[in-house]
Amino acid sequence: MPTVVVMDVSLSMTRPVSVEGSEEYQRKHLAAHGLTMLFEHMATNYKLEFTALVVFSSLWELMVPFTRDYNTLQVVLVTDGCLGIGRGSLRHSLATHNQRGESNRFPLPFPFPSKLYIMCMANLEELQSTDSLDCLERLIDLNNGEGQIFTIDGPLCLKNVQSMFGKLIDLAYTPFHAVLKCGHLTADVQVFPRPEPFVIDEEIDPIPKVINTDLEIVGFIDIADISSPPVLSRHLVLPIALNKEGDEVGTGITDDNEDENSANQIAGKIPNFCVLLHGSLKVEGMVAIVQLGPEWHGMLYSQADSKKKSNLMMSLFEPGPEPLPWLGKMVQLGPISDAKENPYGEDDNKSPFPLQPKNKRSYAQNVTVWIKPSGLQTDVQKILRNARKLPEKTQTFYKELNRLRKAALAFGFLDLLKGVADMLERECTLLPDTAHPDAAFQLTHAAQQLKLASTGTSEYAGYDHNITPLQTDFSGSSAERI
Amino acid sequence: MKIFSESHKTVFVVDHCPYMAESCRQHVEFDMLVKNRTQGIIPLAPISKSLWTCSVESSMEYCRIMYDIFPFKKLVNFIVSDSGAHVLNSWTQEDQNLQELMAALAAVGPPNPRADPECCSILHGLVAAVETLCKITEYQHEARTLLMENAERVGNRGRIICITNAKSDSHVRMLEDCVQETIHEHNKLAANSDHLMQIQKCELVLIHTYPVGEDSLVSDRTKKELSPVLTSEVHSVRAGRHLATKLNILVQQHFDLASTTITNIPMKEEQHANTSANYDVELLHHKDAHVDFLKSGDNHLSGSSREGSFKETITLKWCTPRTNNIVFSSISELHYCTGAYRISPVDVNSRPSSCLTNFLLNGRSVLLEQPRKSGSKVISHMLSSHGGEIFLHVLSSSRSILEDPPSISEGCGGRVTDYRITDFGEFMRENRLTPFLDPRYKIDGSLEIPLERAKDQLEKHTRYWPMIISQTTIFNMQAVVPLASVIVKESLTEEDVLNCQKTIYNLVDMERKNDPLPISTVGTRGKGPKRDEQYRIMWNELETLVRAHINNSEKHQRVLECLMACRSKPPEEEERKKRGRKREDKEDKSEKAVKDYEQEKSWQDSERLKGILERGKEELAEAEIIKDSPDSPEPPNKKPLVEMDETPPVEKSKGPVSLLSLWSNRINTANSRKHQEFAGRLNSVNNRAELYQHLKEENGMETTENGKASRQ
Repeated sequence: MPTVVVMDVSLSMTRPVSVEGSEEYQRKHLAAHGLTMLFEHMATNYKLEFTALVVFSSLWELMVPFTRDYNTLQVVLVTDGCLGIGRGSLRHSLATHNQRGESNRFPLPFPFPSKLYIMCMANLEELQSTDSLDCLERLIDLNNGEGQIFTIDGPLCLKNVQSMFGKLIDLAYTPFHAVLKCGHLTADVQVFPRPEPFVIDEEIDPIPKVINTDLEIVGFIDIADISSPPVLSRHLVLPIALNKEGDEVGTGITDDNEDENSANQIAGKIPNFCVLLHGSLKVEGMVAIVQLGPEWHGMLYSQADSKKKSNLMMSLFEPGPEPLPWLGKMVQLGPISDAKENPYGEDDNKSPFPLQPKNKRSYAQNVTVWIKPSGLQTDVQKILRNARKLPEKTQTFYKELNRLRKAALAFGFLDLLKGVADMLERECTLLPDTAHPDAAFQLTHAAQQLKLASTGTSEYAGYDHNITPLQTDFSGSSAERI
Repeated sequence: MKIFSESHKTVFVVDHCPYMAESCRQHVEFDMLVKNRTQGIIPLAPISKSLWTCSVESSMEYCRIMYDIFPFKKLVNFIVSDSGAHVLNSWTQEDQNLQELMAALAAVGPPNPRADPECCSILHGLVAAVETLCKITEYQHEARTLLMENAERVGNRGRIICITNAKSDSHVRMLEDCVQETIHEHNKLAANSDHLMQIQKCELVLIHTYPVGEDSLVSDRTKKELSPVLTSEVHSVRAGRHLATKLNILVQQHFDLASTTITNIPMKEEQHANTSANYDVELLHHKDAHVDFLKSGDNHLSGSSREGSFKETITLKWCTPRTNNIVFSSISELHYCTGAYRISPVDVNSRPSSCLTNFLLNGRSVLLEQPRKSGSKVISHMLSSHGGEIFLHVLSSSRSILEDPPSISEGCGGRVTDYRITDFGEFMRENRLTPFLDPRYKIDGSLEIPLERAKDQLEKHTRYWPMIISQTTIFNMQAVVPLASVIVKESLTEEDVLNCQKTIYNLVDMERKNDPLPISTVGTRGKGPKRDEQYRIMWNELETLVRAHINNSEKHQRVLECLMACRSKPPEEEERKKRGRKREDKEDKSEKAVKDYEQEKSWQDSERLKGILERGKEELAEAEIIKDSPDSPEPPNKKPLVEMDETPPVEKSKGPVSLLSLWSNRINTANSRKHQEFAGRLNSVNNRAELYQHLKEENGMETTENGKASRQ
């Protein structure tokens, strides 16, 4: 998640801090020290994080902008907890919170998912002596409880500021390291941005799920078959070289640049499974299905940006036994070698996906809806059109007739059956002299059957009963027709 | 996010009393005379639907939309009420479709206007509705079983939609009281039962419907809490299309639906096939598909409230697909999609709707664009069908937080150039997944999980899998393919074993003929190991591969035995003497030798085998040392000459063939055995190619150290 650092530069931040020793610090120096530590951590362990810096007192200024706006954000607010007085101060804003309308909405909650971390250049006692802490807590509450307040433990000094920022780093900026596995082929990776815990259903399953640090590939699927699935989030999967202590090589703050470069060069020349996997996924147009935890899966694929730089990417599906209806249940996916014959065909010209649902949706099964008169009229017209082309259209005529009959019976719309019967009888009288004699027979028969059904008596109004064409024998003329 | 919210269980209670047979007094013209028909015919008199017909078709439309968008986990129980309650279906998933309900409704038929009104009441239905809400659904049962001691977390909530004709407000209150009373009673019953659940929350939606033109005797009332368990709301609605509109609004409220209108859909005119006009189609779907608009407060897209429906719809523009080729458009891209939601057309049978849905059902996808007056085009959604279901995909239109990431070639392993990309591609295709819908059982009777089988297969297939070309010899040899492709299998057939053995004899034969091998020279200076050393490396590698699988089955063991037997042949000098004999003879003989060997198998033999194994290991270690340590440096450009000298001239004339493409072409496996010289030819070509690459690499490496050269 990109980070916005919002730094309080109001006058109160220049209050001196009494530190044992000669140098005199102001609170803003402490803040700067803490932020330096945060930025250094990001530069080494969280390289791809986007950050922006905003400073504020009574006004605000964007010091370092993002290149653009993003979906989700982490906001780090650095302040001393002096909330100011009068109009526009936080205290006043919170007090008048209920009086705001749509036009001057309070900025919190942010209109995007966000976490608000408030770093106080003050200790708890100091904040509690005024109502500052309550006000800051209100802010977190207003942000739907997303975020946390950090205060300095003990006296204000560099060391304690460091430990406060250390807590923030542990909470929000620890890199996510994992092992990517495909059978015996493995690679150490960093997943960026860090996958956040996910709650499936607060009621049934209230415990947030976190992904495994073993990312196990279970098989492969063509991109066309997975077909742009919905995902919770996506992450870069970056291969890393770990030294014995489990730290990333060349990422310690103390390392100088040259060491880092040569370490990186060595790592670059050691074959890495991620690179192999990425290359083949890209060439074949496939994705690897990866298990993230119990009943939780994701996919790995090659992602290229506009500059043709490509990378191994992982997207997380929603946890659950069946995240994508068109693949079916994940546990039911097995190796093709277990199938009687290759479901992809010997020439790779077919696919077992997508799975067909048991019941068709309404738009795929020609349902009858007569809520608008036009729906009813269209269905009646279809019958009429076919009636005029009897006997050639005998099959379609009866198909449409039966469809209307079924719906009318289900809706208890027996008057319609009578009406259509009358209509067919009228059509019979309007038949031209050239008409085939069968037409008159079929129309009369159909009208009669509809009339019987419209009585609603069980022997004629069975839902599953179909009106079948009258068996006629015009052998002479039918031979002529052929 | 709750699975068991009120929407999990919906009970429809529709009044089937004599009064419902009354006409809704809204006429439908059904006899539309076509213009060019005979003049002077008077159209048949319009007909009108009964209150019952209006109620049934509106509730069916509610169910249609619900089933389209939530085919699972949202269940309907349909009850009609007259002199008693008729429960038309159950909570089971098989009963949850329109066809079942329509058939059941047809069996009930329209209300009998001559029935005794005194016996008939909607109360029977309401009581049955409460009763049915206490019944556990498959999903609730499954969740409770899964949660064990936390089973109480599984909620039991529901909604009763009652369509009736009430007499007055007090009549409505009587109905509400009855429901409340019944819930109270049934909750007591459920408390002492294992297969019933207490109702935690019930939403009663009372719809009073009456003929158009009459005055309503019942007043509307918004949702009101009657007790902690029961809330109730009253809607007084005229019958006919007003009732249908009301239920359409309700289904959207109840299931958090929103509407999107696809605009600018080009469609062929029915009358003039060569012209096309633009049409709009309105779709319903879960409102989360609009989450981006809500988030950004971007309301300018909505605002066109459509006539009669009193709701807002968001308009998105159809982008004509670049190609009509089904395959191409579906393969093209993996979009970053943050959600996919099933849709249901508002007007399912209209021509524009069915044109759109048929287009999508044929496998084509359509990108949807936000209509903007200015600025760049923003594609925010995609319509696509998967297995006969249409989904509205939400595409991420905000900038990625992963913008401008480092390329994979800049990271670990990024500078290695000879990954076995094609081979791993082949590996991936062999390890593709397929659904196994019918349960399978293991020999011990336990359920076999297909996904676990897939993992097992990956484990087997990767036991020995060198990642780069220069790390392997055997996988660069077409001649090894028949063995390498089957040895990873869980079990072998007799034919597989035979093929493996043939492969081994074939290799023996190659060695005898002193055919060159595609040994990598990367990392070594000079011309690399000598020929007999090359074969030793090859045999060692092959042994490693086979040995990794000997525990799979007894037949795998036999392949290893064959391999070990063949390796322990007389020294090469002797072999050379035998040259000139026909290959068939040799094969026969060696086959016989293997048979003899198998028959004589004994303790001593296996001891001997162990000795060979030990030696093999030593050899392997030795080979690795040789491979890794640079030979005495020679002028690099001398190498091609040496290699060419060694290459038999006959083979040279056959032209260059890419090893990788040949290798991947497994169909030629059989041929490759018959044409022994083929492998040699491959080798020579490959060696030459490799040498050049190697030189380049070396030159490249020298310059990279200065930090200037860039990788290809």
